[in-house]
Amino acid sequence: MTSAVFLELGPFQWLAIILAMGTGVLFFDALVGHYRHRFGYRLQYAPLAVGTLVILAAVLAAARPSVTWVITALEMCGWGAAVTGLVGFGYHWYYGIVKKPAGLAWFLHYLMYGAPLLFPLMLTSMGLLAVIVAAGLSGARMVFGAPMPTALCLFVAVVLLGSILQAGILHYRGAFNNPAMYLPLSIPVVTVAVALWVAESPSAANETVFAILLWSTLLIGFTGFGMHLRGIDRQMGGLYVALFNLMQGPPQGVPGIFVALAGVGLVAVYLL
Amino acid sequence: MEGDAPITTYRQVLSVAKLSAPLHPISVHFTVALLVTSVICDGMSFVFDVPSLSEAGWWTLVGCCLSTPLTLLTGLVSRMHLPMQESVARSFLRAHMALGPLVFGLLLVMTLWRAARWEEGQTVTLLYLVAVIGVSLVMTLQGYLGGELAYRYGADVKESYRELPGHPPQDQRPVLLSRPLARSERPEERSTS
Repeated sequence: MTSAVFLELGPFQWLAIILAMGTGVLFFDALVGHYRHRFGYRLQYAPLAVGTLVILAAVLAAARPSVTWVITALEMCGWGAAVTGLVGFGYHWYYGIVKKPAGLAWFLHYLMYGAPLLFPLMLTSMGLLAVIVAAGLSGARMVFGAPMPTALCLFVAVVLLGSILQAGILHYRGAFNNPAMYLPLSIPVVTVAVALWVAESPSAANETVFAILLWSTLLIGFTGFGMHLRGIDRQMGGLYVALFNLMQGPPQGVPGIFVALAGVGLVAVYLL
Repeated sequence: MEGDAPITTYRQVLSVAKLSAPLHPISVHFTVALLVTSVICDGMSFVFDVPSLSEAGWWTLVGCCLSTPLTLLTGLVSRMHLPMQESVARSFLRAHMALGPLVFGLLLVMTLWRAARWEEGQTVTLLYLVAVIGVSLVMTLQGYLGGELAYRYGADVKESYRELPGHPPQDQRPVLLSRPLARSERPEERSTS
């Protein structure tokens, strides 16, 4: 494996920066969502605490990639985030669906109107990314039994698929009232398929296609940022009543996940 | 300061200095000007093969990309302080808000592309120039929408206007009345009489 350096930063430093930003957008949406629930369960503070630690560790890792304790801290924070995300998934499943009136009989309803089921798994995925980054910074060429580029491609494929499913169900709730709401179900789906293809049998040709799709996914993420901002502003009073409409409008940070995943894929393609 | 008398002392200068200027219409000029400068420098470098212009093109694009988050942030802050009911102006505002993050995404992509060329010690290609001119056109549209808001509707800047001497106030904030207006006091009656 030959790692390239871009703007004097190695691939795992770039991944650490992307990790910090990706966890940042998750942090924001978890804060808004749990604040809306008035932090009814104390465990709703957990993603904020763990997210803060992951962001700090990732920033430190980007700035000091060769310091051993920083790498260890990043790995520990990563496992912590992974476990916290799984616990959150259990909470969202039980309290957001099972324990609600009619429970699983109204599964689709609660998928749309209950706590977003797959969202905590995004924290798990950021935790796993932290573990991958820590392994890379310590010089490992394999992670989770796969070569580093393959592992990152699989990571992008699986997490992007989860993000597409979550976006799909929530955009379905919004009745796809704007044609742009189909965007997360368009190119990113092809990106998932090509990511799997590249992971299975990488070649110059499919990596080029993968890179084009990743750039497109990145721009779709930024389009999502703008459209979600517009969605918030379409509410009564718009951003002049910011706190209320932030809680009622589309989640502002979520499109950032598409940007972050595209960034991870681009690092895998260009720098690893 | 007494009325509209000319300013003659430094104390009067300080008293009219207003530091609460709307920041978004100011910061947006950095994004626009730096991108345009970058395109011009890179274009001239491509045509006339001048390495220093290529360097200028790269560093102005870096400045553009770094200043744009500030532009986005000040835009959000401006919107949060701007009451606006449903109207044509708000349609402009919504389009402006939707396009803003996309413009930043496009700038980010162009900066990474340009960085790769710069790091390899190469100047820009024709394809890059075509792409960055495309991004500039999107930026132009975004600037037009913002210009409509600021210059036609006075969004964000109107509250900072001072009235020229001899000109009656054009727009006054509505005030709560303690009693209903008499017929002769109503604006529509005054305009017809």
